[in-house]
Amino acid sequence: MSRQKKHSLRWVRLDNAAKIYPAARRRNWSNLFRQSMTLNEEVDVAVLQQALDVTVKRFPTIAARLRKGAFWYYLQQVEQAPAVQEEYSYPLRFMNKQEIRQCAFRVIAYRDRIAVEFFHSLTDGTGALVFLKSLVAEYLEQKHGIAIPCEEGVCDRTQPPPAEELEDSFPRYAGPVPRSRRDTDAWPMRGEPQPDGFLHVTCFRLSAAQVLEAAHRHGVSVTVFMSAVMMQALQRLQQEKQPNPRRRKRVKLLIPVNLRRLFPSRTLRNFAMYTIPELDPRLGEYTFEEICRVITHKMGEEITQKHMASVIAANVRDERNPLVRLIPLPIKNMVMKAIFDSVGEKKSCLTLSNLGVVKLPEEMQPYVKRMDFVLGVQAAAPYNCGMLTYGDTVYVNVIRNIRDAELERCFSAVLQELALTVTVESNRN
Amino acid sequence: MYCVNCGVRLGDAEEQCPLCGIKVYHPDLPRPQGEPLYPKDRLPEKKSASKGLNGVVIFLFLFPLWICFLSDWRVDSTLNWFGYVAGALMVLYVGLALPLWFRKPNPVIFVPCTFAAVAVYLLAIERMTRGGWFLPFAFPLVGGLCLITTAVVALFRYVRRGRLYILGGASIALGCLLHLTEWLMVLTFGGGFTGWSLYPLVGLALVGGLLIYVAISPSARETIERKLFF
Repeated sequence: MSRQKKHSLRWVRLDNAAKIYPAARRRNWSNLFRQSMTLNEEVDVAVLQQALDVTVKRFPTIAARLRKGAFWYYLQQVEQAPAVQEEYSYPLRFMNKQEIRQCAFRVIAYRDRIAVEFFHSLTDGTGALVFLKSLVAEYLEQKHGIAIPCEEGVCDRTQPPPAEELEDSFPRYAGPVPRSRRDTDAWPMRGEPQPDGFLHVTCFRLSAAQVLEAAHRHGVSVTVFMSAVMMQALQRLQQEKQPNPRRRKRVKLLIPVNLRRLFPSRTLRNFAMYTIPELDPRLGEYTFEEICRVITHKMGEEITQKHMASVIAANVRDERNPLVRLIPLPIKNMVMKAIFDSVGEKKSCLTLSNLGVVKLPEEMQPYVKRMDFVLGVQAAAPYNCGMLTYGDTVYVNVIRNIRDAELERCFSAVLQELALTVTVESNRN
Repeated sequence: MYCVNCGVRLGDAEEQCPLCGIKVYHPDLPRPQGEPLYPKDRLPEKKSASKGLNGVVIFLFLFPLWICFLSDWRVDSTLNWFGYVAGALMVLYVGLALPLWFRKPNPVIFVPCTFAAVAVYLLAIERMTRGGWFLPFAFPLVGGLCLITTAVVALFRYVRRGRLYILGGASIALGCLLHLTEWLMVLTFGGGFTGWSLYPLVGLALVGGLLIYVAISPSARETIERKLFF
């Protein structure tokens, strides 16, 4: 690659939410997530590589690498697509500093599955889904010679990316008054760590129709319903571990919120915020209906344009502070890491991220039999959970870095009590 | 297939229940064949700690060592004070840089190693100066400090709770050690017992007692949190 061409590669500043992830990295942990599509046929790696070569040009901020400036990190478009990699016994294996510097995402082919793992600074779940859909659409077009229309999140790979897809939407939609970020600490989950770094993934498959029917029976949405199941499981687990109710800590679940539904943004970079419903188990055991009500009211109160704009304002205010901007990157990193370590993950037990119902263009549907969304574990907390609905199935992937599947057991028990048929798979064998 | 223990329905490829670990087996039913979610035995290679960083650290230690050697040697072609600097750098290396060679250095091992290095260094100084103070004075002092520090580090690492108790106990033990130090000084170097060590002993015992009181009393903890939150 000529020097001139290298300089013509597009680069962007990290968006407001992405800034914390490079600083929060540890020697054996970085914030990753994975999305995958399972096809009805074996993946042809050579064709996938060609499709990737085409697709990366359309997404200069996702097909990117993390680089260092004097004061901030930035993302630079990769010169060429990374090689398609092989699958390991567990997903989201550690992406080290060198790897993130070369290319902050990886594409993995395994039998009939195409998976993409992203460093979270690149994009959020929604942006990643657009990338994955476009990649698989390109693959199917090349493999089968079909034409897939650019709809339902599939982008035209022949066109340059529009400016609104590349923008950092946070400053644009920041409200006038910042909101305090003060929050209570959550019950810190712990367990015996898996010594070799193995990550256990347990996938719960449920019938989407059954879940929807059960959610409607309780008068709530699927996200609220599944969050309530998880909070119920957390509540029970804490009851098992801490028999003294007065010593129990708050059960809190972090639910990411896609801000594109509140603001007219089309960005493919990070544009998500979160809401954290909480239960105080010292007050007594919450029934499932009560938990549903707590979550519904919390989400109703917080998932509004005005509330989110004020939360964004608080985050944006910090990065606009001239003093903060002038601090050299290594010092900034140390401070941000210290803040992340002391505050970042203490505000929730785990994250339950629901990508919702994933739709594909009709032409793609016969080729894709399944989709998965796996969030990486947190730096200190052992669990995380990603879910999506594709076709008539809800896929809930729970990941953990500890030996015992105690939360999964409680989660499964709650689902069974609600008369939901659940099928469990894992990478444990 | 269903798990015989927890009753959950299992994916076709599961050989054991992901939730309770019970093996999937039924003598009358053939196990359904399914594709596993992930390949079974393909684990990423583990890399050791960064060799490059360790190289840089060794250079940072060797460079001043070399400068000191030259400075000392060039004066009268003998080594007078170089041994002291070399020993001090070795102690510093053992304490700060040696753990970098390991992926997950365990402080419970490295803290005593550092104190052992300090003891060896002091022994060398004593031999060089023919002071005769190592066994009666330096050894018990370094040994006592090593015991207290290692105990604190080990308890912090392996016992999740009761950190205030640990710090309180360590504070009182440190006070006692300082008092012992004064006695050792009197016995080794002569001179009268002035009682200076009683001041830190009382101070540290008070701090230790306060920490233990705060650990025992939830209302004291609550008051401190209420008054000092930020």
